[in-house]
Parts: sequence; structure tokens; C-alpha cells
Amino acid sequence: MSSIASYVDQNNTFSFWPRHNQALYQRLESKHAWLERSKVKAAADEEDPLDNEMVLNIGPQHPATHGVLRCAVKLDGERIEKCVLDIGYLHRGIEKLAEAKTYQEFMPYTDRMDYLSPYSTNVGWCLAVEKAAGIAIPDRAAWIRTMMCELARISSHLLWLGVGLMDAGAVSVFLWTFEQRENIYTIFDEVAGARFTVSHSRIGGVATDLSPKAIHLLDSFSKDFPKVVEGWEKLLNRNRIWIDRSQGVGVLSPEEVVALGMTGPNLRGSGIAHDMRTFEPYLKYSELDYDVPIRTEGDSLARYFVRIAELKESCKIIQQCLQAMQPGPIRVDDAKRSYPSKDEVYYSMEGMIHDFMYTSEGVTPPRGARSYHAIEAPKGELGFMIESDGTGHPWRAHLNSPSFTNLQGLESMLEGAVMGDMVILIGTIDPVMGEADK
Amino acid sequence: MSESLKFTFTPVDGAKPAAASSNPHAKATTETDDDIAVLKEKFGDSICEVSQYAGERTVRVTPEVLKRVVYLLRDELAYNYLADIAGIDRFTDEDRYAVVYNIVSISRGKRFFLMVWVDESAMSLDSITDVYKAANWNEREVFDMFGIVFAGHPDPRRMFMPEDFEHHPLRKEFPLLGIPGSLPLPPNTPEGALNYDPFSAAHGNKPSKSYEEPVSTMASKN
Repeated sequence: MSSIASYVDQNNTFSFWPRHNQALYQRLESKHAWLERSKVKAAADEEDPLDNEMVLNIGPQHPATHGVLRCAVKLDGERIEKCVLDIGYLHRGIEKLAEAKTYQEFMPYTDRMDYLSPYSTNVGWCLAVEKAAGIAIPDRAAWIRTMMCELARISSHLLWLGVGLMDAGAVSVFLWTFEQRENIYTIFDEVAGARFTVSHSRIGGVATDLSPKAIHLLDSFSKDFPKVVEGWEKLLNRNRIWIDRSQGVGVLSPEEVVALGMTGPNLRGSGIAHDMRTFEPYLKYSELDYDVPIRTEGDSLARYFVRIAELKESCKIIQQCLQAMQPGPIRVDDAKRSYPSKDEVYYSMEGMIHDFMYTSEGVTPPRGARSYHAIEAPKGELGFMIESDGTGHPWRAHLNSPSFTNLQGLESMLEGAVMGDMVILIGTIDPVMGEADK
Repeated sequence: MSESLKFTFTPVDGAKPAAASSNPHAKATTETDDDIAVLKEKFGDSICEVSQYAGERTVRVTPEVLKRVVYLLRDELAYNYLADIAGIDRFTDEDRYAVVYNIVSISRGKRFFLMVWVDESAMSLDSITDVYKAANWNEREVFDMFGIVFAGHPDPRRMFMPEDFEHHPLRKEFPLLGIPGSLPLPPNTPEGALNYDPFSAAHGNKPSKSYEEPVSTMASKN
């Protein structure tokens, strides 16, 4: 039995999943063995008299881990020497579930992946299916999706800002951001009929058109919100406590972020201008005028500035969408590719049959078709790879989730950091476990 | 794998769909014909197949040359960013599993799909963690879900499931509702025994209860 595992599991408390815990602590012990060996030589006769060495298990249930993230860390005093992350506590086998659902049936499940920005995940799935089946969506649907995706981005970044700052000790910002999130929920409620798990996007378009009230709410929100952000920036941008907590913490060089495969604002905070909206323009992003903000410092403060700038850019995009949007159909007028409108379903026999057929069978991408479509979710590149066997169910649906890739980078970010910065670092990469655990 | 795990379905093999020439969502980043030509010239017969759908070129190579191809992509063709690795259970008699590598060149604005087939008798691939650090967790995920072992991986543990779990859930023969008794859960009461089955009702068993149910008075009246 290894020394760390026996040290931690003193009274044989891990009777539950014993092999898993043993493997986890063995990994923690065997990681960077060279670092240990050099130390063993130095401290051969000392035997750690101050009792500095410590193995600490944080999570899966801990408020600062932003979900069910488990970190096993080896500490030398305050310094994190080694870290092993353990995820999977929210694993529901969502890819397996997708294989048993029709494409449209699976869409509401995507709400539960990244539950902080459900609209973008809906759109990510629908676009992936549309690519596999070769469905072009009407212009108005694309504008609505673009706009609501940006609203979801604001909503997600707001939660990141409030919770991240609460980790650093500022409670009032949390309340302010949630006041704004409440406004966004009101808009989602008006647009989709649900506040949180919206499920508004459909394969081949969106479920409902925007009401005049929704357009008014979107317009006033995107006009007022940048001023609110400026107010927060007055508090935060030169705040001594916030800067001290985040500047120079978790620094990643451009080479490191690319090697670690990190995505989204974490990548752009280190000076890599990689954004799916410009890399592989989808929906209406190629017709819009916006900036992709980047910073070159690569620390937590840089990632804060990137996300704050994205909040304002998103408002700009929403304004442009409202200007450019023309009246028109919101779903493809093809019963083999999208749901017919409710008017047709209720008042015509054909429509009823189509609705029934679409629910039981749905879209059928050609047999053997495999395609990948990625969108820029608030957390980074969110991609779905779909392989079809010619039926209404995906043969294989693979999720490439940004939180998963970012968490991998967190493991090496934590090593060498001090214990007090750990919550800041978890907050700064903005993980959502529903998405990372699939 | 126990005898009870059986799955019958039409495997996905045979005719490929016609390369959809005008997919509305096709991206310019996946037009990688030049790079494929470079690979073909260098590796010849080891490039088994180049398939195309929705503008996406997928290059299938033999498992033997996988690592050399990946090195070439990174060092000579500037594919410096690994976006994703996905496993697929094709459920065919030969070369049952496929692994798709999704590699991006940020500087050149290209996305490359590389595919390898793994036979059930081999179940092993070279790990590319020394080429792309980011492959670490993705390879662990493929191992966890399909049981494909990555030789040379620095941390060959499962990704999502606990080590005590014996099956590979994304294989087609694994039932959707799970296998009774495969995932022990902690006791429901401090004294209670382990509740071994999260879906016992679904498998026709009554869930064990930690309390005595009162006898229904309604039933005795009738």
C-alpha cells in the first residue's frame, strides 16, 4: 500500500469505491516523481519536523469548487505541490442517452449540460444536427439565435463575475449581477416561455417568433446594460483588493494555453485570438461588426478584462441583430426537416401527420454521415460530432465541451499556486460541471 | 464482459453518403486537400482512406503510423492545437472501434480530422500525449467509455466512472439503464447496507427500503 493512500485513509474510511480512491491518491503520489526525489535528498535526515507536508482533499461538495469538482492536492505549507482533479460526479452518460433519443428529443437535454447558458448549448446541438442533415435555416431564425446566444453569453459571464468575485470576498457584486441576470431571465421567459432551461431552438429554426414585448425588452436591456457594466468597472478595475487577488495569479503563456488545449476567454486572456465566431463563422456572425477582445498578460486579471469586454461586445451584437432582423419565417417549411407550425398541426390533417411523424422519426441524416460543428459558447469551443446510421437516432453523438478542456488546464495551473489562490483559479477558468462531466 | 451483455443492431458500414457538395454549414477551415496531399506523398499506403462529408475531409490512417502522422501535422503543417478526441463504436465484426482526432491550426485557420480504426482483438493505440499535452484527458475519456488502451499514456485511469466500475458504457452492448450491481452506492442510512442498484425498479426488482411500510387499511376493506 502506498504511503499517501495509507496516510490519508487512516481508519479505512474509504470503504466506498476503494479502488477509485486508491488510484487517485497513488496518482497524486507518483506525479512529478523527480520533484519528490530531489527533495528526498535534501530532507533525508530532517523528516519534515514542522509537519509541512499535507495531503488535502477538497470537494466534491464544497461551495468554492463551483460544482462537484474534486481536487486532491499535496501541500507543502501553503504551496500546492501537486494536484489531481477528479471529475465525473455529475456524469449522466449524456452521449449514451443521445443514442436512444431522436435528434429533436435530445435537444432539451442540452439545457442541462451548460446550465448557465442553456441557449448556446441548444443552438450548438441544433446547428450540429443541421450540418449533418444539410438543413439551411431561415434568416430570421438565424438572427434570433445569434441574438439569444449573445444574451446567454452575458448571462453566463454575469454569473462568473458575481461568483468569482464572491470567491475573492466581494459579496455585493454578486447581488448586482444577479439583479441583471433576473432581467435576462425575464427576456428568456418572454421569448421562450421558460426562465432557465429555455429549449427554444428547434432543428431547422426556433420554436416561436419574438413578441413585440420581447424585442422591446431586448432593445432596452442591450442599451442600458453597458452603462451598468461601466459602473461595476469603476468599482473593480482599480480596486486594490481585486487586483491583488487576481494579478499574476494563474499565469499561462500563449504556448502553454495552446498546448493545454484551453478554449474561450482563457485562451484569449493569454493573447491567442482564437474564437469560433471568427474562425468558423456560423449563423450571422460573418455579417456583424464586433471585436474579439484579447489580453496578453495571461493571468486571472486578464481573463477578467476579456470577459468584461465581451459583455459589452455582446450588447453591440444584440443591437445590430435587432437592426438587421427582417420579418420572415422562423422554421424551415419542410415537414421532413422541421416541425410544422402549430396552426398547421391544429387545423390540417397533413400538418397533424407531419407533426406525428416528426416526433416519432424526425430528421434522418444520410447513413454513414459524420460531421462536427462547433460554436463559441461563453466558456469556449462547444462542438458536437454526430455520426448517423440513417435512422432518426444518432448512432454516435460526441460532445466536445469547453469546461472539460479548461479543467484539464486547471490541473497544471494549480500546481505551484498557493492554497489561498485556489478558489480564484477555479473561478477564473469558469467551469460548469454539468458540461464537463457529460 | 459478462455473457448477458448482448446488442443487436444494424452496424454502420458499407456505402458512404455522397459527398454533399453544397452543405449550408460547410466551413472553409475544413478544406484541407493540400495537407492531405502532403500526407499521401509522405505515407503512401498507410493512408487508407479519405472520406468527405459536409466539406469535412477525414483521413483514415493505419494505427502504426498514427504517431508519425500527428508529429508531421504538428511540426511541419502547424497544427498546434488539439481540439478533441472522440471514440466511435462502429459495431462491425472487423475494426470495430474508430477514434477521431480533431486537430486545429490556429495560425493557418484549418481543422483536420484524423481517424484510426481499432480492432477488438488489439484494443490498443499509441498515446499522443507527448505530442499534444491536451490529449491526456481526452484519451482517458476514450479509454473509460470504450476500453481502448493508450500505450504510453502517463495517467491511464478512468475519466468519469470510478475505478471500481468494470464496464465501458459507450459500447453498444452496454444497456442504457446500466447493469444491476455494477455501481455500488453509499448506504442510505448510517446502519444500512450498501444499496447496490440505482435502477433496481427498472430491472424488475423492488428497491430495498430503510423503513417499515404501514399496512394499508384501504386494501383490507376491499
